[in-house]
Amino acid sequence: MSGGGGEEEEQQQQRQHQHQLPGVSSSASGSGAAAGRATPEMKRSAVRSLIQRYFHQLQSGCGNAHCTNDNCASSGKVAPMTPNEVAAKALQLFSQDAQLCEASASASSSPQDVDMLSPNDSSSSSSGSSTSTITSASTTTTTSTQSQSAPAAVVVAAAAAAPSESSIPVQSLPQLDLVAEPLSVGSGPCTPTLPPVQSLDANSLIALYEQCRAADSYDRICHAIGDVFSFVDRLSKSFVRSAEPAASSSLQELLDNPPEALNKEQLRMLEGEHDKDEDCTQKEEEEAAGGDSEAACSGEVVVVTETEAETEDEDVPMAQPEADSQAEGEDKSQSSDTMVDFQGLRRVQRLLFVCQTRAITEKLTTSVIQLAEWVQYMRPDWEKVIHCLVICFDLATNTNNSVVDIDYLDRALPKLCQAAASMPVPAQARLARIWAAHCPDQLQTLVAACQQQITLQVLLDEESMRENGSIIGMTKVLKIVFYANILASELELPSCRIPLEDRAETPATSSSSSGPVEDDLFVYSSVHQPHMPKFAEDQLEKALQVSAIDCRRPLVPLEEFYNEALSENIQMHHDYLSYKTLAMESEMGSGQTNYFSFMLYAFILTPATKVDALYYDSRMRMYSERYSSLYSMLNNFGQDGQDGTPRPDLKLTVRRDQLINDALIGLELVAMSNPKDLKKQLVVEFVGEQGIDEGGVSKEFFQLIVEEIFNPAFGMFVQQEETNNMWFNATPFENGAQFTLIGIIIGLAIYNNVILAVNFPMVVYRKLMGYCGTFADLNDWSPTLYKSLKSMLDYQGEDMEEVFDQTFKISYSNVFGEMVEHELVPHGKDVLVGQHNKQLFVNLYSDFLLNMNIQQQFNAFRKGFEMVTDESPLKLLFRPEEIEMLVCGSREFDFVELEHSTEYEGGYTDETQIIQDFWSIVHAMPNESKRKLLEFTTGSARVPVGGLKCLRLLITRHGPDSDRLPTSHTCFNVLLLPEYSSREKLEERLLKAINYSKGFGML
Amino acid sequence: MTAPRRLRKELSDLQENTLKGFRDIKTDDDNLLRWTGLIVPDNPPYNKGAFRIEINFPAEYPFKPPKINFKTRIYHPNIDEKGQVCLPIISTENWKPATRTDQVVQALVDLVNEPEPERPLRAELAEEFLRDRKKFVKNAEDYTKKHSEKRPAD
Repeated sequence: MSGGGGEEEEQQQQRQHQHQLPGVSSSASGSGAAAGRATPEMKRSAVRSLIQRYFHQLQSGCGNAHCTNDNCASSGKVAPMTPNEVAAKALQLFSQDAQLCEASASASSSPQDVDMLSPNDSSSSSSGSSTSTITSASTTTTTSTQSQSAPAAVVVAAAAAAPSESSIPVQSLPQLDLVAEPLSVGSGPCTPTLPPVQSLDANSLIALYEQCRAADSYDRICHAIGDVFSFVDRLSKSFVRSAEPAASSSLQELLDNPPEALNKEQLRMLEGEHDKDEDCTQKEEEEAAGGDSEAACSGEVVVVTETEAETEDEDVPMAQPEADSQAEGEDKSQSSDTMVDFQGLRRVQRLLFVCQTRAITEKLTTSVIQLAEWVQYMRPDWEKVIHCLVICFDLATNTNNSVVDIDYLDRALPKLCQAAASMPVPAQARLARIWAAHCPDQLQTLVAACQQQITLQVLLDEESMRENGSIIGMTKVLKIVFYANILASELELPSCRIPLEDRAETPATSSSSSGPVEDDLFVYSSVHQPHMPKFAEDQLEKALQVSAIDCRRPLVPLEEFYNEALSENIQMHHDYLSYKTLAMESEMGSGQTNYFSFMLYAFILTPATKVDALYYDSRMRMYSERYSSLYSMLNNFGQDGQDGTPRPDLKLTVRRDQLINDALIGLELVAMSNPKDLKKQLVVEFVGEQGIDEGGVSKEFFQLIVEEIFNPAFGMFVQQEETNNMWFNATPFENGAQFTLIGIIIGLAIYNNVILAVNFPMVVYRKLMGYCGTFADLNDWSPTLYKSLKSMLDYQGEDMEEVFDQTFKISYSNVFGEMVEHELVPHGKDVLVGQHNKQLFVNLYSDFLLNMNIQQQFNAFRKGFEMVTDESPLKLLFRPEEIEMLVCGSREFDFVELEHSTEYEGGYTDETQIIQDFWSIVHAMPNESKRKLLEFTTGSARVPVGGLKCLRLLITRHGPDSDRLPTSHTCFNVLLLPEYSSREKLEERLLKAINYSKGFGML
Repeated sequence: MTAPRRLRKELSDLQENTLKGFRDIKTDDDNLLRWTGLIVPDNPPYNKGAFRIEINFPAEYPFKPPKINFKTRIYHPNIDEKGQVCLPIISTENWKPATRTDQVVQALVDLVNEPEPERPLRAELAEEFLRDRKKFVKNAEDYTKKHSEKRPAD
């Protein structure tokens, strides 16, 4: 019972609170004393558990279908809320001391639970058993040894190891899996003298439960649970899948017809017999087992335990060496084998989490906590720990959200997570594999449970959440779940994960055949391009050899791994510092510190938060570039350095009418002479305009240049008819260098935090991240083509050659609308597609369209992109879908959201007439005008990642009524609005302004 | 003369075994992707004329569906004034690469013979077709007389 003290006290506190609340059953033991010793810390934990109860009540309800509490989900009166809102509400309810539903009310109304209980004992056991838990938990069972129904009796009797006289025939009894050891040594008169239960399985647990129920006392089962669930060695021998299923058939029968027949009368009879037997049994035991004063409470159990003891003795050594030998096996971490008896576990689930026998759950919870803590500090045999964790997590995910379950989740789950997180990577990989293979349907629940706990912990500990061990532990476990989720989903094979090096090689080899090599123009070598810092490589991913990218449709949507509360409260600059510290340490080779950065657990961060991280990274780099150029400027001062001094920024001076040429030439110079300069802050100047680039001018620059580059007339990209996506022109007029420059521009846009109006199909972003396009990518590249090829793959007839009459020669139309033919294999025109080679055909066709056909163009493009982004944590943080959002923004206009986040200055408030008119005009606008307004005020028509609310629009009063048009500072998202005299005038001026805008300082 | 192999096969098949409702199939010698032909309906009010259509095959045929256009004007609820027709069998949602052109053309002939007013391209004609069949038939016959081509002999 070490280490659990804090929990128990906390619990008493909690009970004490209930005590004061109306309609809560009282627990008799020593709450007054606990109150007397209450420390501030204990108060805090009591408050915390109360808030947690409100939280769960709001989120899941008390389970009572007739609940009338307005603040209980079961009453149906609670509006749907996000976990954040729920948490806020819970805090509020707590401060109001609002009504809290009776916890145990939930299960009695839950039909699932009712059948587990005979009508006789459902009412009485609750308060009684909870009392006994507290006693036994807090006083190390000394007192319970005195009680009539002490759990000790079971085992002690068995330990006697002599057939005891029983009035009940052995065959009729359920087998019990309680292994009795010879009485332990050194058991003084006051310490518990019972030998511990060595293992449990589903059947023994159920049998024990039935007996306890019959006896109306759950002490024995509690004790057994405590014995087993607190110790890795014992739990790792429990719930082991039996090798010979036949053996359990008789047990199954028993289970199907539980000894329900024991009614109260029989019970009394039994008890009477016990009373009679007691003396002699006791004597016998004392003789046999050496002076145990324990009274037997039930003869039947005695016998059962004994019979089972023998079989179990054979079982255990059988299961154990097997597990051990597996642990030694080389490929252990690759294996998803587990001996855990999931079916059995789920059978006992309901019995462990029944409200009426809350003591059982309570015991289970404290035991599991104890086990988890022990694991964390003792670092035992991981193979055993995995067995235990699989069991404990499985209990956590098969809940039905009743109050008792939630109590287990609240208290045990964080500890379990910390235990799991403390395991070495191969063990974590093993856990992921087991989850993926054996309980894929539980993953969603596990994610939700972890998320709920993380949210709760974040809200309770906002200031130090980044150092909070529970949060970190659960985040680490979420990563295991994340990979389990991917393993459990349909994976794309062969993986489209690169041969990045191969890809980098190919242009060199292929270009030798296809003419001039223009790659030499740039200093940048694409060999050193892995844009993933070494220390950030995910060891778990490596061990499992999967990647989120291989999985097109994850079992649990990856969005469910975002934690909003955590992302909102993380204070990214602090986390970024931890990240940098880790990076530095790994560079210096030290490592092994306690720094933790959520950036290495990017799946949990929302895209908006990850954008922050990227932003800090870009800024840091810009400052360091600026610093070093200033430094060298100082160094060169006074020398005749004509041009040796580098600029502190990346300056582009462009003419509006020569935009593309000026920009491309400017960038080409930089890219050729010193590509590192691309990482300086971009400053754009339009010739002859007074705008100073604080961000707004470069925004417009990007906007304009993208419009021109992607104009099909420009010839570098073609627009795909079906999707309006832009795709590389396979027969371009420009050389590869132009594509490199466009890649640089896309990279610069990300680096400088600018959103672009580009429509690339997703495969472009996947390719940018180093993967190659595959058949699945055709789905959003050309949906019709994808569907047709899919239906070809699905065609099962043997007459495929006749029906399709398709050869390995395909045709497509080029940018001029001419038909071009291509043979996918040598002499492809003579090879017909049939059942045996249809998959090959589809793969080659996809590869040709998405990779081969545009390889030269794309490699040049990607090279440019990487010149800017190679050192950024882009790939670490973002999945391709998120990169797309990063580049293009999300595509919805939610102006209501914009209105809510808008701020006012210069005398305007949200109540001012003109502001109210403004919004009613704006909301009534067609989408196109909204887009223009957005472009007018922010310089970009795209919605930033995170939605319009992230724009933080500011509307400022720009003097009284006048004929001036509204103006804007796009770099700060400020709209300057004169206080026009009428709504009509406002509308007219506003529309004029947004329809005739372009350029700076001209209005 | 390049064209997907299957297309060439389909063309020669159709020219050998002509469909009853589809005649006079022609292609440009240098572009097999564009066919023309005459739809020859059986049912009134269209059975007094023939209607020229154009079938355009994409380079990716049969992995992308062909498109069909009426070159002859026709008074029909499912064919609009520009000659566009909405034929489910060649819509991008329904297209199957195993579908052959003779099936497509047969579906078109059936549609001309039996208008489907419940999914019209010209709502006013569908309305007339449902409400006042006599008037519709009269209009369509007049229209056919005025605009349609001569039916091929035999």
